[in-house]
Amino acid sequence: MLLQQVVNGLTQGSLYALVAIGFVIIFGTMNLVTFAHGEVYMVGAFMGYFALSWWHLPWPVALLLGMAAGWILGVLTEKVAFRPMRTLGHMPPLLITIGISIVLKEAVVILLGAENRPVPSIYEQTIQVWGSQVSVLQFVILGIVVLLIVALQLLIQATKIGRAMRATAQDHEAAYAMGVNADRVFNIAFALASCLGGAAGVLVGIYYNAVYATMGGMAGLKGFAACIFGGLTSIPGAILGALIIGVVENLTVQFIASGYRDIIAFLVMVLVLIVRPQGLLGSKMRVV
Amino acid sequence: MQRQFWILVALAAMVLAGAPRAWSAEPISVGLSAPMTGNYAEYGNNWKKAMDIAVEKINQKGGIKGRPLQLVVEDSKSDPKDSAQIAQKFVSDPRIVAELGDFTSTACMAAQPIYDRAGMVQLSPTASHPEFAPKSPWSFGIVGTQAEEGAFMAGYTVEKEGKKKIAVLYINNDWGIAAQDQYIKRAKELGAQIVAVENFFDRDKDFTGVLTKLRGSKPDALYIPSMYNEGALISKQREKLGWNDVAVFGPGSLYSPKLLEIGGSAVEGLHTSTIFMETDPRPEVQEFIKTFKARNNNVPPNMFAAVAYDALMIMANAIDKAGPDRKAIRDELAKMRDYVGMTGKISFTERRDVKRSYHYLIVQNGAWALLEK
Repeated sequence: MLLQQVVNGLTQGSLYALVAIGFVIIFGTMNLVTFAHGEVYMVGAFMGYFALSWWHLPWPVALLLGMAAGWILGVLTEKVAFRPMRTLGHMPPLLITIGISIVLKEAVVILLGAENRPVPSIYEQTIQVWGSQVSVLQFVILGIVVLLIVALQLLIQATKIGRAMRATAQDHEAAYAMGVNADRVFNIAFALASCLGGAAGVLVGIYYNAVYATMGGMAGLKGFAACIFGGLTSIPGAILGALIIGVVENLTVQFIASGYRDIIAFLVMVLVLIVRPQGLLGSKMRVV
Repeated sequence: MQRQFWILVALAAMVLAGAPRAWSAEPISVGLSAPMTGNYAEYGNNWKKAMDIAVEKINQKGGIKGRPLQLVVEDSKSDPKDSAQIAQKFVSDPRIVAELGDFTSTACMAAQPIYDRAGMVQLSPTASHPEFAPKSPWSFGIVGTQAEEGAFMAGYTVEKEGKKKIAVLYINNDWGIAAQDQYIKRAKELGAQIVAVENFFDRDKDFTGVLTKLRGSKPDALYIPSMYNEGALISKQREKLGWNDVAVFGPGSLYSPKLLEIGGSAVEGLHTSTIFMETDPRPEVQEFIKTFKARNNNVPPNMFAAVAYDALMIMANAIDKAGPDRKAIRDELAKMRDYVGMTGKISFTERRDVKRSYHYLIVQNGAWALLEK
């Protein structure tokens, strides 16, 4: 039972992690927060739903389409909300992203309706692990998340654009002076973050079998919380933070009660931040 | 020039002739407080579709005493603070003679004191909290109460299906609490053992944790007072966890084509109850189903649509008999007995709610099937 709850928590946490990493990438490179991230995740989820339910495509294609939708939305958001406002401080882009978030959410309600949309299941089997029954889908989701994170790390550590991103994150003016095209880096960083958000949306839709217009709100909040919990600019920190939130939530359900899951998860986060204000793995200099 | 003038006149005449019916009298307005957006939006929109059919039917037949009936819709999101605000607005508008709604018991009970003070009928199609209607002489509920339905479902679980160890997973709102209370009370009287009770909030979509926990108590039946959306997701996630040796029961809120669509194989064998059946052979029911399907992408009405239709018809009847006076409408409604609607016979009790007769319903081969008594 305990093992199963831990697996439940890790699966849920890994999905939070994808959202949280998006916040880290955006904050790490641009020093800005977006409030439309939850809605990007929602749009990704709907793209996955269309691919699976309407067009009957295999799930890897659905995942790629969700990621592509996220990418496009990220490119557009950056161009519309962030680029023209970059010199105006933090507030204008922040407010614009709140606006984008509302527009996306309401547009989906108007165009597609407010109801839950059922997403077909994949890998419905279960397997026995040390006497506990664990769903194959949970391992598939964990595997995909690990793959995405490894791919992201490779991109950041071993490619030219990754190096440009790291340089921009450290000091975008200096990077600019060295010939880095900061506009392009910001755009790609935003697209990358949104792409992971889209992937998380597709996976959540498959995992819980439901996509709906308002699904982004709580997911965005949890992802943002995990990002702060982990240290704001540390990807490993965000992953760790997200996994801890996921596991604590499920253990709370097991040992206290379902209603306390968010309370205890956020309480643990508050306590850790009181002791370590910089977050789990955060430090002033570590970026992306 | 002259020719153009005559063409215009001809056009105007054609438009006037084709106009649905020119009403000379002021419309009679009834307020509808319902969740048109937010978490419960699909239920509110479903109501609206059913009620529009009823309104059109009434107005085609000449309206109420020669005046057209008009529905004034306000979106409450089924949020108690919005429903209270809407109540304020309705009671202070002299054109509105009575109110229909809201959807959840919580939203109804938040608005209740306002209708009570101002003296306006509040007729909820769906509030089934046993304390709702008795609380104010101006409040009416037509769907039946959880006191009746909970007891019926407990009998279904324990007596009819012979389950003895029951776990309960309910939605944590006024309705869900009343639903599980009444069910557990009766199940215990019948000798069943309640092995675990858990709840969830109406925004939750992840039930894997709480299902894993409930499974640990090894029940042979699981009772899930919830809406069909959550009911379907609970079933899907239960199936995915490989927990298949449990019989699932739930109140009539689960009865919807949507449950089958979302739940698929996971809801096979699910037990519930209903007061409305798509297979009801009465011609007026079949006509309603046909009209509804034509306007709803061929999706048939569910129980919520049927009670909404009935609520509007009952209200229109009362206004027709009593005239557009708030107090007279209340007195007329309170007297109403043996109205036969889409959901069967409806008679208000002394408490202004309705004693319903329920049917045993089960999902068989991916479709709803009635069981013998």
